[in-house]
This record gives sequence, C-alpha cells and structure tokens, in this order.
Amino acid sequence: MAEKDISRRIFIKRLGTGVAGSGLALSQLSAAVSAGKDDDAGEKAPKDQVLLQLTVNGKAVRLHIPASLTLAELLRDRLNLSGTKVVCNHGECGACTVLLDGKAVYSCHILALDAAGKEVLTVEGLLKGEELHPLQEAFVKEDGLQCGFCTPGQIMSAYALLKQKPHPTPDDIREGMAGNLCRCGAYPKIAQSVLAAAKSNARAER
Amino acid sequence: MADKKVIKSRYFFEEDFEEQLAEVPAEKVAAWDKKAKLKIVGKGVDRYDAYDKVSGTARYTFDIQLPHMAYAKTLRCPYAHACIKSIDVSQAEKMPGVLAVLTADNAPKIKWYRGTSYLFDRHLRYAGDEVACVAAKSERIAAQALKKIKVEYEVLPFVADAGKAMQPDAPKLYENGNIAGGKPSVYERGNADEGFNRADVVVEETFDTQVVVHNPTEPHCSVVNWDGDKLTVWDSTQSVFGVRNALADSLDIPANHVRVIKKYMGGGFGSKLAAGKYTIMAALLARTIGRPVKISMDREEMNLAVGNRPDSVQKLKFGAKKDGTLLAMSHYSYGAAGAYPSGAGCSWPLRSIYKCPNVRTEEYTVFINAGPGRPFRAPGHVQGTFALEAMIDTMAEKTGMDPLDFRLKNYSEIDPVSGQPYTTKRLREAYEAGAKAIGWENRNKKPGSDSGVIKRGLGMASQIWWGGGGPPTYANLKMNRDGSVEVLCGTQDIGTGTYTILAQVAAEVLELPMDKVSVILGDTAVTPYAHGSGGSVTAPSTTPAVRHAAELMKEKLIGYAAAQMNLPPERIAYRSGELVDRDNPAQKMSVSALMRKVREQVLVTTGMREANPEGYAVNTFGAQFAEVEVHTDTGKIVVKRIVAAHDIGRTLNRKLLENQFEGGIMQGIGFALMEERVIDRNTGKVLTTNLENYKMTLLPDMPEIEVIIVSDADPLLNNTGVKGIGEPAHIPTAAAIANAVYNATGVRFKSLPLTPDKVLQGLYGGVKQG
Amino acid sequence: MNQQFEYINPQSLDEAVKLAGQGSVYAGGTDLLGLMKNDIAHPQRLVNLKALPELKAVERQKGKGLRLGALVTLNELAENEMLQKDFPAISQAAGSAASPQLRNVGTLGGNLCQRPRCWYFRGDFDCLRKGGATCFAMDGENKYHCVVGGDGCYIVHPSDMAVALLALEAKLEIYGPGGQRLLPISHFYVLPEDDPTVETVLQPGEIITSVIVPEQPVGSRSVFVKFRERSAWDFAVVSVAAALQVQNGAISGGKIALGGVAPVPWLDKKLNNTLAGTALDENGINKIAASALTDAEPLEQNGYKVILARNMIKGVLQSLAG
Ligand SMILES: Cc1cc2nc3c(=O)[nH]c(=O)nc-3n(C[C@H](O)[C@H](O)[C@H](O)COP(=O)(O)OP(=O)(O)OC[C@H]3O[C@@H](n4cnc5c(N)ncnc54)[C@H](O)[C@@H]3O)c2cc1C
Ligand code: SF4
Ligand code: FES
Ligand code: FES
Repeated sequence: MAEKDISRRIFIKRLGTGVAGSGLALSQLSAAVSAGKDDDAGEKAPKDQVLLQLTVNGKAVRLHIPASLTLAELLRDRLNLSGTKVVCNHGECGACTVLLDGKAVYSCHILALDAAGKEVLTVEGLLKGEELHPLQEAFVKEDGLQCGFCTPGQIMSAYALLKQKPHPTPDDIREGMAGNLCRCGAYPKIAQSVLAAAKSNARAER
Repeated sequence: MADKKVIKSRYFFEEDFEEQLAEVPAEKVAAWDKKAKLKIVGKGVDRYDAYDKVSGTARYTFDIQLPHMAYAKTLRCPYAHACIKSIDVSQAEKMPGVLAVLTADNAPKIKWYRGTSYLFDRHLRYAGDEVACVAAKSERIAAQALKKIKVEYEVLPFVADAGKAMQPDAPKLYENGNIAGGKPSVYERGNADEGFNRADVVVEETFDTQVVVHNPTEPHCSVVNWDGDKLTVWDSTQSVFGVRNALADSLDIPANHVRVIKKYMGGGFGSKLAAGKYTIMAALLARTIGRPVKISMDREEMNLAVGNRPDSVQKLKFGAKKDGTLLAMSHYSYGAAGAYPSGAGCSWPLRSIYKCPNVRTEEYTVFINAGPGRPFRAPGHVQGTFALEAMIDTMAEKTGMDPLDFRLKNYSEIDPVSGQPYTTKRLREAYEAGAKAIGWENRNKKPGSDSGVIKRGLGMASQIWWGGGGPPTYANLKMNRDGSVEVLCGTQDIGTGTYTILAQVAAEVLELPMDKVSVILGDTAVTPYAHGSGGSVTAPSTTPAVRHAAELMKEKLIGYAAAQMNLPPERIAYRSGELVDRDNPAQKMSVSALMRKVREQVLVTTGMREANPEGYAVNTFGAQFAEVEVHTDTGKIVVKRIVAAHDIGRTLNRKLLENQFEGGIMQGIGFALMEERVIDRNTGKVLTTNLENYKMTLLPDMPEIEVIIVSDADPLLNNTGVKGIGEPAHIPTAAAIANAVYNATGVRFKSLPLTPDKVLQGLYGGVKQG
Repeated sequence: MNQQFEYINPQSLDEAVKLAGQGSVYAGGTDLLGLMKNDIAHPQRLVNLKALPELKAVERQKGKGLRLGALVTLNELAENEMLQKDFPAISQAAGSAASPQLRNVGTLGGNLCQRPRCWYFRGDFDCLRKGGATCFAMDGENKYHCVVGGDGCYIVHPSDMAVALLALEAKLEIYGPGGQRLLPISHFYVLPEDDPTVETVLQPGEIITSVIVPEQPVGSRSVFVKFRERSAWDFAVVSVAAALQVQNGAISGGKIALGGVAPVPWLDKKLNNTLAGTALDENGINKIAASALTDAEPLEQNGYKVILARNMIKGVLQSLAG
C-alpha cells in the first residue's frame, strides 16, 4: 500500500455513502434503478430537456429527455429495457435493432425524439408474460445464437422480415438479415431459425 | 474414487506449455466407452441459457446498473509514441457531475504489462495508450470531461511496422530495443541445411498476414462495487480467477476481499483472457468516490486497445525428394506484438503436423507503436497454417503429386516434436471424409484451368492444435432435498455452451432430466477453480471434473441409501434416479425420497479433472476443404462451400458443436478475405476504428458448411473422451480458401487478406501505379 | 452523443428554410448523427424535415417525368414496383446502399447530401476538408480513394443514388431563402479544386425538396451495378450506372455515370463520347470500356479501381446487350 496514493483512510471515510451491499441479488439492484429516473432525480429537470411521448411495447411512455438522447439510450438507460444491445453505437452492426412503427431501425442511430408519437417494439415486447414468441422459440430450437449479445437485434430484424415476407426464401433471409453482424458466426443457425419460424407461421396459417 | 493426490500437471494452454501443481483423483473414473449408449451426452439438447438470451432478459455485464452508479471513461493518447510532460485536470474536475480523475499524477504506481509499464505511464507507446480516467455521474459527462483535460505531450518518433522496428536505427520502444527478449526463439531438430542439400526439390517463399482484431460484440467492461473493504466486480471476462488475482495484486488487498463474477458474456475470442487496465481503474475510482463504477469500452477503444492477432512475415523453405518425401523445412518469421509483451510466433503447425526429420524455425516477436496483441483464437496457428499449407501445396505441385497424396505421404503417426504417440489421431480419416464430401476429384488438375470470368477452385488445409486440457480443474456438485442438482465450476461460458455441456454431463451420470440440473459458473466466491476459457481446454478440462463429481455423488447416495435401507452398500445400485436393492429390485427409493431423509442437508461432492496420461501427445486434428469462386472481373472471392472434417474426441452436443464450427469458419473467412486493422503509415494511428472500416463477415457472405466429425471419443485422455473444438474449427479455414483460390486462378497470393484490390493486381499484373 | 442542440419540427417548408439558416436540416439522421458522434458536425439546431409530409411523395406525371420527394426513404425507392420496372437504376441503387435498417430511415435527400467516408475525414485527423492544412490520404492509406478529379483532396463521393440519378440526367428542386431553383444534378457537386471543404453547391438554409427524373426515351434501359467488398454497409468501391438507348444493336444515346472513382459522381467525358453509335458487340463493348478513365491518375494503392471500373462497364454493357 505504501507507494499507492489513494490511502486506505480516505477510502474508509467514504464508506457507507449509499454503496449497495454486494449481498443483494443483482436483479433487485437493477430493479431499484427505476424507469425515468436517473442520477439527477431529485434535482430539477435541467432546462434543456424536452417532453417525449411514445409507445413502447404497447405501453404509453411520457418523459423528459435531452434532445441528444438516442432511442437506444432511452430504452436501455431510462426504461431499463436492456434486451436491446449497443455494440457499435454507429449504425454498423444491428445489435440495437428495434421496430419503429413496424419497421426495423437501428435504435442507436436515431434520436429518441424521432420516435415521438410512434410505436416502438423491442425484444422484450415479443414475450407474452414469460412465454416466448414462436420466433424466439425457433432461435432456441435451432440454436440461432452463441454468446447471445447480437441475438435480440437478430430476432427483431427477423421479426420485421417475417412481417413483410411471411414466407421468405433463403435469399430473402440473407438479404433481410444482412444488416446484423454476429461476431460469433451463428449465421447458419440464425438463418435456419428464421426459416423454421416461417415454416411454423405457415403451419399456423393452414 | 474419492482419494486424491497432487501432481505436477503440464499441458498446452494457447501457445504456452504450462506447468502447475494440481490435485487429481488417485484413481481415474473409467472413461465412457467409445460405443457407450449415452442418453443426454451427444444429443443436440437446447442451449441451457437460450431462453435468457432470446428473451432479452439475460443481463450481461454491459447491462448492469447499480443504484448510485458512476461511469468512467478513458482518455487515450492521440500519438503513436509520446511522453507526458504535464497533465492539467483542473478544468475537468470543475465540471458539474465529474467525481474523480485519475492520471499518472495521482494514481498509485501499479505495474502493468508484465512489469514493462504502469497502469498510468508517462511513456505512451501507442495511439490509444491510457492517459487518464474520469468518473462522472453519467457517461456523457465523463466523455465531455475528457476533452477538458489538458495534456502536454512530447511527441516521439514512432515505428508501426515490425520489419522496420527490427532495423538498428528504428525508434526504440524499450531501452533494450524492439525485439522481445532481445533474440529470436529458435527450434531445431535434425539438420535443415543438410536436408536441403539432399533434396531434389527446394522451394522458398515469403508470406505475410495482417493484424486482425477480436471485436467481440459485448465490449470489454466491468462494474465494480466496494462494500466496506470488500470488492465485487462484474466483468466481461474469460477468466474470473485471473481478474481476481490482478485486482488483488494491483490494489494490494487480500484475494478473499475480491469477488469476480461473470454470468453472460458477449464473446471474447481470447481478448478477454487477461485482466484489463479498465477494471483496475474503475476499482480505484470507485474506492475514491464511494460509489459503484461502470466502465465499458466503446467500439473505437475495442479496435485500439484490447488486443489483436499479431501480423506475420514468414519466410519458408522446404526441401523434398522426388517422390514427395519431405526432407527439410525452415521457417523464419517476425510479427508485431504491439507495444507491450505478447507472442507473435507462428511456427508450431510447421513443427508439428508433418513427418519431417530436419526442421529449423527462428521467430522474432517485435515491439511496435501499436495496440498490444493478445491471444486470438488459436494464436500463431492461423497465420502459420496459411503459409505452411500453401507451401505444402506448392511442394505437391513441384513433385507432381496431388496435394492430398502429398500430405498423406508425409503423415506422421507420432508427434514429431516429442516423439510420443498420440492419444488418438484421426487425421487420415478426416482427409478421406472431407475429400469425399467436397468432391476432391473435381478440382482443377491444372490450377487456373477453369475457363470463364468466374473461376472455380478447390483447396484444402490440415489442422493441428492441442486442446486436451488437464488439471487443475474442479467442479462441485450439490444435491438438494428435492433431488435437484447444482453444478458449480469456476469456468465461464463465453458463448460456447459450457453451461449446457456441464448440465448434460451431470444429467447423464445422475440420470436426471436436464431441468433438474442448474449450473453456476464464473463466480470466484462460490465456484471452485477452473482455467480461463481459452485454448480449447474448457470442455476437456471441465466435463471430466463434473463427471467425477457426479459419480462421487452417486456413490454418496448409495451410502445414504444403504444406511436408510439397512443394506450393505454393495447391494445398492443407482438406476434411473432410483436406489435399488440389487437382490430385490422391488425394494427401491427415489433420490428425492432419499433426500427427504437427509432433510435440510445439501450433499456436496468435489470432482477433479484427472491427470493426463503419461507419455502421450494430445492433439486435435482436422482438415478443411474449400470451394471458391474467383470473380476475375472484380477480384471478388466468394466462398461457396466449406467441408470441415475433424478429430475432436467425443461430440457432447451436435447442435452446439456445429455452431462452434460454423463460427470458427466464419471468422476464418473474415481473416482470409476482409478483416484487417489498417494503420496510417505516416501518423501511426489506426484508421479502422469502427465496424464500417473494420470489415467482418456477414450472413450473405457465408458459404454452405458441412461439419463431419470423424472421431468417436478419446478415452485415453479423460473420462468423457472429449477434446476441444473452438480453435480447431478456425485454424485451417483461411489456408484452405487460399489454396482453393490458387486452384481457381493459378496465381499464388501470398498476402492476406485476399481483398479484391490484391486479387486484381495479381491477376492483371502491372496495374498502373500513381 | 455529447452535443446539445434543439430539435424542431417545422410547420411548413418556409419555416424549415428559415430555421435551417442557423442549424442543420435533419432528415433520417443516418449521416448527420454519425458526423455529430464523430465530432465533425456541431449543429445548434436540428430542423426535422420528417415533420413535412409533402416531401414524402413519389409522383409520375405524363410528360413531366418522375418526381421523388426528398424524404422518400431508400427502402421505399428500392421496393417501388413502378421504379423497378421503369427506372431500375434508381431502385437498384437504393437497394444496394447501406443495410435494410438504414434504408428504412435514410432518405433520398440525405443520401445526396451525405458527407464523404474518407477514414481520415471521419477519424481524428485535422485534414484539408475539415479546414486543416493537408490531405492525409494523398500519401497515406488510399486504396478506397479517388483515381480521377482529386486535387488536394482525394475523396470519392459516397452516394449511390447520385450515380444513378446522374446517368438518368435528373434535376434537383432546391428551395431556399431566395426561393426555388432547379439544378441539374451534374451541377450539384463540387470538385476539390473549386472548394475542398464542401461537396455540394447547397447554401445555408437551402433544402432539396425533390428530385425530378425525366421520362426516358422509348427503348431506354437503365441499370445500376455496385461493387462492394461485403454484402452490407459497404460503400461502392466502384459503381456504374447506365441509362442508355439502344437501336439496332448499337447505342443511340444516353449516359454512363461512375461512382467510387472521383470526388463527385463522375461523368467520364471520353467514355460518354464513345457511347453514341457504338455497337453493343464484343468489339464495341471493349472499345467503350477502354475509353473509361483514360485520364486517371491513381494514387499508390488504388490503381486497381481503373481495371475494376472498366470490367464493370463491360459487364453492364453485356447485360444491356443480352
Ligand atoms: C453504415 C452506413 C453505411 C452506408 N452505406 C451506404 C451506401 O452503401 N451507399 C450510400 O449511398 N449510402 C450509404 N450510407 C449513407 C446513407 O445512405 C445516408 O446516410 C442516408 O441516405 C442519408 O439520409 P438521411 O435522411 O439519414 O440523411 P441525414 O443524416 O438526415 O442528412 C445527411 C445530410 O444531408 C442533409 N440533408 C438531408 N436532407 C436534406 C434535404 N432534403 N435537403 C438538403 N439537405 C439535406 C443534412 O443536413 C445532412 O447534412 C451509409 C450510411 C451508414 C451509416
Ligand atoms: S482525401 Fe480529403 S477528406 Fe480525406 S484526408 Fe484527404 S483532404 Fe481529408
Ligand atoms: S449498436 Fe446500433 S447498429 Fe450497432
Ligand atoms: S451470438 Fe455472439 S455475436 Fe452473435
């Protein structure tokens, strides 16, 4: 400790300033970060914030945000919907794909204000309670994932694709899913998952 | 079975031969027979954590938010080589929302990069080296504060090319010069010069490969939280124990005050095997400000500062007899470690695949002013195999042989390096199966003879890697009163399916349904030690330990049942989750009925990975075959098909295995055709800092892939008969593609990646240059 | 993003023009947000054109040709069946840009006005185009840079739409503080020799409201072909757009435009002079291809683009002949 500048004394003095105990389960901890509030909660909303209203996964949302907030930041940081991932933050990977009024978009690369008055669907919105959507089910069965970090984006792209083309050809899938990077390379099984979901769609229609 | 002993365990991890003390079972659990009829192991069961991942509920380190959490961001050096003259953080500190700033001025002097540097060093050796770290109430404020830090740099001359860095007059990164260790690493067997003298055919060629970057999707990130003087860290890491040790050492606190947890993780590929500076910086900041701190790299930092695969320049010289017998091989190479220690050697495949009496290799690892290297999916082997297998094809052509026949002619039945037999080697079978599946007879007998604008070609390459794993690796197994089971192991699932295969093994032994088994990995406070997730050692190290723990549990249950049923233990058998009197099968108890008699107790066993067999070499083998189309008008190479035929021991889960192979092949395609870190030669700064410029393979670029497993099991190696697959899957892909391109065009491209500009220049020769 | 700005939904085009004088026009934002994240653009105000539905129409009037609203998204262009049939170069160009998600957001007007992708420009380099003193690409890493028309700055113009529209001889309707003007797209882009810091002649406050594409003569065929290194996100290494009239096996009129070769969408003079009257047989096609980029002055790493462009021209002509 001798050569280190930050002394144990200072450090101990700082203890107990609201640091959560590590014994708490993580889920409890994150649940404690409630939607719409951030660190500045309690302080007055700064003047450069604007009101945003939109629908997220069927629920009306109304909150004050700075204009520069991206849709991904809104979802992840404000609404605690961390299923949507951010990998490049630049429109170059697809991990942040969500549906905006039914169309797949990169939520990292549009502003939250661009979604004003619109409907946003995220991967969490596909669940019915705890039950997976058939498309998510297909990703489980076909193993359309490895690390899973790109997976919510892949699923949302696939969802948009199947909405537009319920009976896609393998080429439709390759083109429709081209905007989603998977560094683990689960691509063949991702494509199979989409195909399988389309087939079960077809069965359901009959 | 419960007796144990301590041994000196030695095995290959990545490129290093590791030796350490380890506790192993005194008596090995008999390996599952090759033909054993297993019910769960080997089946394509669904991925254990798939629900969490497809539903979006999986919380990765990147997703963790703690109440009152602060965010840290790092200021990085904008010059390839510089010294800090002064740092002024006063403006940054004054910003509302800024909580603390760490720099070389106020941070403890913590040694880093194997003692060559410090956490904050005033000597900055690459554009991206850490200068300062700011904690603030939000990530935005932290980022804004970085711009307010005034640093006065003394800009130094830099060198960003390994060849130039080896010149005596090159700018020096270290006082002792730019060659790591001051000398090459040399390997010799026989006498290469003598071999060349006796050879009928001698060929000499130079190859080069590029730097590639891991770019896992989840960035390197940590969330740290102090509770009193105890530290909990959630980290996106491939080695929770490695990170714990680094934290304890760096912060000079007891190891039992540090808990490192990793649950879900968005890939690593080797780049997350070592602790990162960011974790230590976050821990220091958190301690100063008394709040939890989150730090995560942005994509630019991912491409600058958290590892890469070193490049290589390789000069190979091969000599053979007219009949194709290899007489001598020599390999001279250098590669850039980046600015800090890491290995850039790449001759292992050449030393170890083929039978050749005379071999000499000489390898230089060179420091340059660029981001440091880190192991990347089969370090050394991917670049080494590209050059080696191109040479093998050339030798085959010069001796008038089919490339496959040439490889068979020089097939080695024993490990040419150690002279030891292999536990198993099924490379011959892999060659046969792969050749049949790809239709090897359809390749162009004369390279480049395919007519038309789009030329088709077939190529192949062999693969060797270690991937046998070994002790120490431990797993605990808990049996609860309802008969449900928990497996605890200090390994981590990095997307490879470790949760799933460990659950499969426990379920298999205890004859339980999968949903009765839960798996807890990667938590230094609760899981027993296992190795970092690399080197393809995870499955062959952990599954035998879990099996051992489960067999011990069975034994334990039999003991409990014997007492309960008042029978000698020999009378009791464990069948389908029931404890049965062998002499009177009608008398039996289910595990849960028995466990109710144990009441609130949880039964615990500890399994251990057994010792590797003495006197054997352990390797994985394989061959990949590629079919490509070369568009001679645009220079584009399209990979149409890859057949991967491999010897990897026992298949644990076909679905997961295929996925691993497809991923390895996908990254091999990227390495062969498009991935490349580009450094501006005039400033030494990286230009490929985003995912538009750093090009990785996408779905439409994927070929048809066929995976053939030619092995049943390796029962000599361990009790599950498993070897690793992660790295083997990736090693030969680029080499096979390059050989197929030669077969298609008749032009030998010796520089990766095979981008359209290079292909056009190769095909058209003298392109007008400015 | 670390910038502060106001975000305004204008009520009318006039209001938009007025507001845009001290801010930036904001359409899909796919380029502008990237520039802001990279600290290249720092607008104090974003004027959201999406608030103006009148800019979203695709219309075709007999005799007057095609009018494409500036806010039509790339996917709308790619999927429009009328365009696919009668103006395939437009839908092909739109469909080959960026990625499906970006095409859902990125607009025609934004595509034409996007800034270059030069990795020095986008990176942390104070180069000529950003007001600095030098071009880093000239003797740096320049395999994606231009082979013709560079002078001080060697960018290639990134827009795929512009190349297709240039071949189709489109005009831009521009509305600004001074009223409306109609400008041929061939006059819209600026070469570095004229001003290395801007790519277009657009003045502050000016907005492209629509793109007018003349009705093509009977017997015309158009095609857009793009070569990129991988299947999404990649800008053209080289692209070729052709809108040609063919009579009796020979070209009777029309244009070929090139992308990825010059700082602006490129109408190669010699190439276009060689078109009319040349037969679409092997000899003719070779002759036309060989006439392209004869004045190219490649940099150290991009000489391959000349071969590539000529080969692609051949391919395009063969497809039109076939
Ligand atoms: C990863 C990536 C890959 C891409 N690949 C390609 C590609 O392959 N080919 C290709 O062509 N493009 C490509 N693009 C560019 C993309 O197509 C453009 O970003 C998009 O079309 C721009 O439209 P926008 O509406 O989003 O523009 P914005 O970002 O909103 O605007 C771009 C610029 O144009 C100005 N502007 C917008 N609309 C008008 C108007 N009506 N009048 C005047 N000025 C206006 C804005 O002020 C701004 O300066 C790519 C972009 C990204 C991020
Ligand atoms: S080509 Fe133009 S944009 Fe690129 S570095 Fe040179 S001046 Fe800057
Ligand atoms: S995170 Fe949005 S596209 Fe990559
Ligand atoms: S599953 Fe890991 S990035 Fe796609």
